[in-house]
Amino acid sequence: MSLLSPANFDGDAIRRGFNFLIAAQLADGSWPSTPEEKTGCWVTSLACWVLAGESEGEKKYSRAIASGLSWVCDDWPRDSSWWQRSLRRLSFAKQQFKYNDSARGWGWTPGTSSWVEPTAFALLALGCRGSREEPEHPSAEKRRKLAELLLYDRMCPGGGWNCGNPEVYGVAGEPLVIPTTWALLALRKYPERRENIQSVAWLEKNLSKIQAPGSYASARIGLAAYGRQRTEDAASAGDLQAKNEFLSNIPVAAWMTLAASNPQNWLAPGKHS
Amino acid sequence: MLNRRLIPSFQRPPSRVMIRRAASYEQELGTLIYESLVEFALPVKDKVVLLKPNLVGPDPLGVMNTHPAVIAATRESFLRLGASQVLIGDGPAMDRDTEAILESVRLREFVGPLPRIFVDLNIDDVERVPLATKASRLKELYMPKTVLGADLVVSMPKLKTHHWAGVTLSLKNMFGTVPGSCYGWPKNVLHWAGIDNAILDINAAVKPDFAIVDGIVGMEGNGPIQGTPKACGALIFGDDPVAVDATCCRVMGLLPERIKYLAAAGTMLGHINVDKIQQVGEAVVALRSKFAVLKEFSALSEAA
Repeated sequence: MSLLSPANFDGDAIRRGFNFLIAAQLADGSWPSTPEEKTGCWVTSLACWVLAGESEGEKKYSRAIASGLSWVCDDWPRDSSWWQRSLRRLSFAKQQFKYNDSARGWGWTPGTSSWVEPTAFALLALGCRGSREEPEHPSAEKRRKLAELLLYDRMCPGGGWNCGNPEVYGVAGEPLVIPTTWALLALRKYPERRENIQSVAWLEKNLSKIQAPGSYASARIGLAAYGRQRTEDAASAGDLQAKNEFLSNIPVAAWMTLAASNPQNWLAPGKHS
Repeated sequence: MLNRRLIPSFQRPPSRVMIRRAASYEQELGTLIYESLVEFALPVKDKVVLLKPNLVGPDPLGVMNTHPAVIAATRESFLRLGASQVLIGDGPAMDRDTEAILESVRLREFVGPLPRIFVDLNIDDVERVPLATKASRLKELYMPKTVLGADLVVSMPKLKTHHWAGVTLSLKNMFGTVPGSCYGWPKNVLHWAGIDNAILDINAAVKPDFAIVDGIVGMEGNGPIQGTPKACGALIFGDDPVAVDATCCRVMGLLPERIKYLAAAGTMLGHINVDKIQQVGEAVVALRSKFAVLKEFSALSEAA
């Protein structure tokens, strides 16, 4: 995704990346997190989102995207079943967590619970559902609504998100930068909602306290998506990276590259070149 | 790893656990830890050692994560003992930004530049590991190559209560070796598999060779994140993580045999029975400090 941005456009690398993605897709339409694995997971949404992000992606990869999104729509979290919800009402877990269990999103892996980030990834992927010629999955609209409900329900008191525990044993959870950014990106069509405003304000307030380039870049992405450009401290992500001399990991490098690009260039599908 | 075989507890020789008094993180920990390790005569010369601390999240009070002074002193000690390389690795469960956690923990200030020392196990290359024990429903896990390739794995938890498992010590700490890139943040598949049983499967697969528990300041109550600091003034060492955890429980005023995963681990991974644990250093009673637990776990307390 970061290489698709006009400022970083690298045709060769992009072609190799797309070829890798197409080759890695499993027969059921999903993507595994590593080539060795044979089961799809949270990266499926991101793969669909990236493929749809290429200027010709909607046509060129429409089948891959459609089968990926179909897998996403069929992947219901395990805690959403009638049986699991009934069990929860009877168990002591009810006292541990307070949340609306009619809301449902996505888990990191199939057959687990809903969490903030994979739910945000799926919403972003469903928002760019590939070729308009491909019919949308019958449950896509329902799942979008339930997932938005889940994200708002799991927001921490006062704004921002963590992995998805706004309160445990009556104690409020602390928000984290990266889940907050992804949730805000997934919910960006509701910029006037109180929860979005509170969460953007939380990100802005905490930007100067961030000590690592990954979170910093992520916060910049989230703020830019809501029109809060921070040109005055543009060097900070690089400074943090240089100071750390550390973990040259791919997600952090990608977030930093995306943070340096205008989000309008990569947030919507097919607008990258 | 040194102890690759699973040995039923009844066939195991007695385990050794050492309790050392350490009043604060400001005191000189290097000599204390080095001398303690010498007592165990670990075969680490020219070996690759992996230290697995418990790094959970930003921790301004310094009670949630293994303290960097303990990590740094342990690293130095293993180097002094002749290890060819001493890596530090963890895969935090809730927060994807491992660098942010390391910055807040100030690990770099204690051990120096991290690029060739620290491994983010959440994004390491992985290898499929079949789970021989099948305590949980999981048949296999993809595990970091750094963990599987280390000659000696040292679990270095913080002495804490845990709101789902009762306590989180050297066995529970190994959850952090499971890679987030495969299983997410949190590693929820382990919760669905049953935390107690997943702890057994992971420890049977990774088989940590040694444990050093940071009990200088622990956490009681609603641990492992939102609990209350509890000064205990102890470092606890041992070549059997099960025995170390059982001893930690006794120091915390808890009954190890009532902790489900520990009771099960005592049948297949190590010893929890005091008769099978050779206690050296301070006596348990000398440093016993009753840890408060949530009411759901009141049956774990010795008084219960």
